[in-house]
Amino acid sequence: MASAQLRDTRRRIKSVEATKKITRAMELIAASRIPRAQARVHGSKPYTEKLIEVIENVGAADSGGSHKLLERRDPSRVGLLIVSSDRGLAGAYSSTIIRLAETRAADLEKEGKDVLIYAIGKKALSYFRYRGYHIEQAYLGVTDTPGYGNARALGNRVMEDYAVERIDALEAFYTKFESAMTQVPTHQELLPITPPDLEDDEKAVRVSYGFEPSPEEILNRLLPTYVEAIIFNMLLEASASEHNARRRAMKAATDNAEELIKSLTVQANRARQAEITTAIAEIVGGAEALVES
Amino acid sequence: MAKTFQVDVVSPEATVWSGKAVIVIARTPEGELGIMADHEPLMATCATGPVEIEAESGERTTIGVHGGFIQVVNNQVTLITDRAEVAESHAQAKETAQRLAAEDAEADDEA
Repeated sequence: MASAQLRDTRRRIKSVEATKKITRAMELIAASRIPRAQARVHGSKPYTEKLIEVIENVGAADSGGSHKLLERRDPSRVGLLIVSSDRGLAGAYSSTIIRLAETRAADLEKEGKDVLIYAIGKKALSYFRYRGYHIEQAYLGVTDTPGYGNARALGNRVMEDYAVERIDALEAFYTKFESAMTQVPTHQELLPITPPDLEDDEKAVRVSYGFEPSPEEILNRLLPTYVEAIIFNMLLEASASEHNARRRAMKAATDNAEELIKSLTVQANRARQAEITTAIAEIVGGAEALVES
Repeated sequence: MAKTFQVDVVSPEATVWSGKAVIVIARTPEGELGIMADHEPLMATCATGPVEIEAESGERTTIGVHGGFIQVVNNQVTLITDRAEVAESHAQAKETAQRLAAEDAEADDEA
């Protein structure tokens, strides 16, 4: 017959084992998604690079007409675009980026500016809503596998808000996927567009292009595309980072469970041994009592 | 043998086609546009429709495209498209392009 302590310990081992199975499964799922997310980050790079190249060329050829998205105005209402996660269990992934954004938001408010939040992911939404920030728009369910359509919807929304002067500037917070080992929380200004470096004269050969239609019109269409591409790239990087963070968090949890099982097993064995020792002592004691009589 | 030039077709998701080509036939809002080596520098918007590329090897590829830009400079042709998919024939590419456009409109509606 097992003692109460032994039974308790065994029950705990079972429960930890069940948890371990779950965290292991989540780790494997996250791990299986990383290569795909990484490949998408990689696959979107040529597009962005070519786009920048084209904008440089058009910008160089353009007669210097200004564009609304390039215009800098004194910002009194600043939009913050925050890419977090929809789900938890990804370690400090969401809280790191949220903390970075909140610091910035607090700074802006101190300067007397209005802060509008564009929250991507449930975590950012609930955090900032709870703290009484103005949530301009929330996007849920895009962080897992962001599509270009998501980026376009988002881009259209913020550019429209910028055009009607609902916001005077837009800053983005997302986690940049540097490598499997390092993901960097990043703060980036999105609007007004900082033109890609035009100083680089070596590359930007001034060619006289034939334009079809006019340079202004092409720039009019290029710039929004550029914003969309940047947002898309951000979403992809964030998604890869999220899967990575989740994999790491779940790996840590699995390792912890293993450790816990080990120490609990030792404890259970000790309890069992103690029980046997007691039983033997009882038997020996009983036998001796018989001999003496 | 005809002179060749570098062609890259990129979409946000991936590089759709990349290599040396002899001729590229694309569509702009103004009409069809055939590009061969030593074409003058050009920047144009792309119309929804098929783009045909004849590779160095003589192989023809048809790609259905929706939206984007085409840049020709220094014997380098870059097609920057919103959506692109390789199709098997000219007719199919047309359909592909239409489908991509329709999907896009749908996505815009949802937003």
